[in-house]
Amino acid sequence: MTKRLVQGNEAVMLGAVKAGASFFAGYPISPSSEILAQASVYAASHPEFRFIQEEDEIASANAILGGSLAGAKSFTATSGPGFSLMQEAIGYGHKVGIPCVIVNVMRVGPATGMPTMPGQGDLNQARYGSTGDYTSIVFYPSTVAECYEYTIQAFNAAEESRSPVILMSDAFLGHLNEVADLDTIHVPIVPRTLEPLASGGIRLFSGVATYPDGEPATADADEFIRQYYESRDHRLEVAERYAFHEYGWNKDSDTLVIAFGITRRIAQPLAAHFALFRPIRIWPTLDKELTEIAARYKKIIVIEGSDGQYANVVERMLLRRVERVPLLGGRMSLEAIREGLDAIGMLPAELAPSGSESPARVG
Amino acid sequence: MAVKDKLKTDLFPTIWCPGCGIGLIMQQLASVMDDLGLDKNNTVLVTGIGCTGRMGAYMNFESIYTLHGRTLPVAEAIKLVRPELNVIVVSGDGDTASIGGNHLLHSIRRNANVTVVCNNNEIYGLTGGQTGPTTPQGTSTISSPKGATYAPINLQGLVNTNPNAYYAKTTVYHQGPMRKAIKEAIEWPGFAFVDVASQCIENNGRRIGFASANDMLQNYRTEYKSAPPGSTRLESHQLGIVKGQPLPVGGGSGDGSGNGSGN
Repeated sequence: MTKRLVQGNEAVMLGAVKAGASFFAGYPISPSSEILAQASVYAASHPEFRFIQEEDEIASANAILGGSLAGAKSFTATSGPGFSLMQEAIGYGHKVGIPCVIVNVMRVGPATGMPTMPGQGDLNQARYGSTGDYTSIVFYPSTVAECYEYTIQAFNAAEESRSPVILMSDAFLGHLNEVADLDTIHVPIVPRTLEPLASGGIRLFSGVATYPDGEPATADADEFIRQYYESRDHRLEVAERYAFHEYGWNKDSDTLVIAFGITRRIAQPLAAHFALFRPIRIWPTLDKELTEIAARYKKIIVIEGSDGQYANVVERMLLRRVERVPLLGGRMSLEAIREGLDAIGMLPAELAPSGSESPARVG
Repeated sequence: MAVKDKLKTDLFPTIWCPGCGIGLIMQQLASVMDDLGLDKNNTVLVTGIGCTGRMGAYMNFESIYTLHGRTLPVAEAIKLVRPELNVIVVSGDGDTASIGGNHLLHSIRRNANVTVVCNNNEIYGLTGGQTGPTTPQGTSTISSPKGATYAPINLQGLVNTNPNAYYAKTTVYHQGPMRKAIKEAIEWPGFAFVDVASQCIENNGRRIGFASANDMLQNYRTEYKSAPPGSTRLESHQLGIVKGQPLPVGGGSGDGSGNGSGN
């Protein structure tokens, strides 16, 4: 392949194939549907790649659990309420230890919300959406080329951590077309880690707390705690190898901007005025990296497409107040960022619109 | 091989209540699997939440104890990825027909090549005896003290909306017909559903007037009658098999058509 226009959702599909994915199950929902459509097209000419359009997102998420157990690197893609419907199965994947990838192309919620304006309001759901305690690994790229790269990394991390890994995107990024040469991106592929079904064993894969012999352990706190810490520690250890982030822009500024996903792209005109920290691994949070970098700055501004979901995380992590620029209702634009910075008195003079050119309030 | 090799007898006695009908299904399923040469290398079990779901833990097969209601998406995906495997779903009526109802509807429509053995005790047993989707109208349960309000779901009618599907109604008393049905269902090329009436004495039977599990079995003996040969529709308390035209193995699988439940 040479340089060509690639769409964000297409890059996710291409990354999945590169990572060795051979099963997709999904249900149409904007703005993720191109991934479903392209998986069906790919399956039509590649019989080893299995595809099913399910009756809903509950079935889709459960199907990729089954497909993964059967031996295929498996994935699905969804958005908004579809991601909500998948949470139960995501919890099951964590409990049982099933590698798979869930792509969530975010739009504005809750509920049906604003189809299909871009949002970043699913960060907490990606971490805490299912019942109980578990350890999520979540990546969020910023460019079309990164959609490809971090889809491969998501499959790799899923195999290593034996858990459902979530790749976040958003309506802008998913539908963004930009020039990329994906062949120049080289990521080593982690092979399958889970022995496929019917390989000679008699394993029991159970969402119920059980002892290794399959007997119920539903009233044994010690056994639960042993299994919980074992899986948590393993996933945190794996996540350490995927501590992706970006630190740049004007590092001599006294103010650090934190922005991720499409927001980092929109905020690019701030580059001369602020330092930038961009988490790519959204969960687990990059405590070591961000704590060290944040210590160099007097002020921190979190610009994000939610009402402070990541800002809250940063405050809790650093134990200091941060400034917030929430981009709500799909207004993810430079104008909205300018207004947000102005509202907290942090808009650089050079970026202030001159009188008659005040920004239009458009989405 | 022998039947007992299919079972983890070292884990016996099972978790099921004395008098429960599930063991009668497991015994017959194990026997049929032995006859057909099904083993841990060519067959997987997928079970749902409810008392019946424990069956996978007692059998010498790889088994997936899924979330409540989610057996069919998991089973269908396994069959799609590994068409050479026999995929057998074992679950209860509540799991299959209520919380899993949408999946059931669509697995039937797609003619998923999986076998469903449904332990139909007409009640939510594990949670203590609430009305289920198969509870006969008027039955007193702990969530319908004045009698279940609605008529039960017609599983036979639902399964046979697919002209290529297999449906059998039997009971745990009728071991011969149950055995035949399980065997035919496993061999059926497409969606096959064995609906087995099975007693729950502890959380249903005693409340509705049965003194013992044996009384419930004897009731199956006297109340269930064979449907007339060639029946395309089964009435309540009729034993029988309603099967459509079997589709040749190999159709409609993994071809990217979205019709990928496969053979």
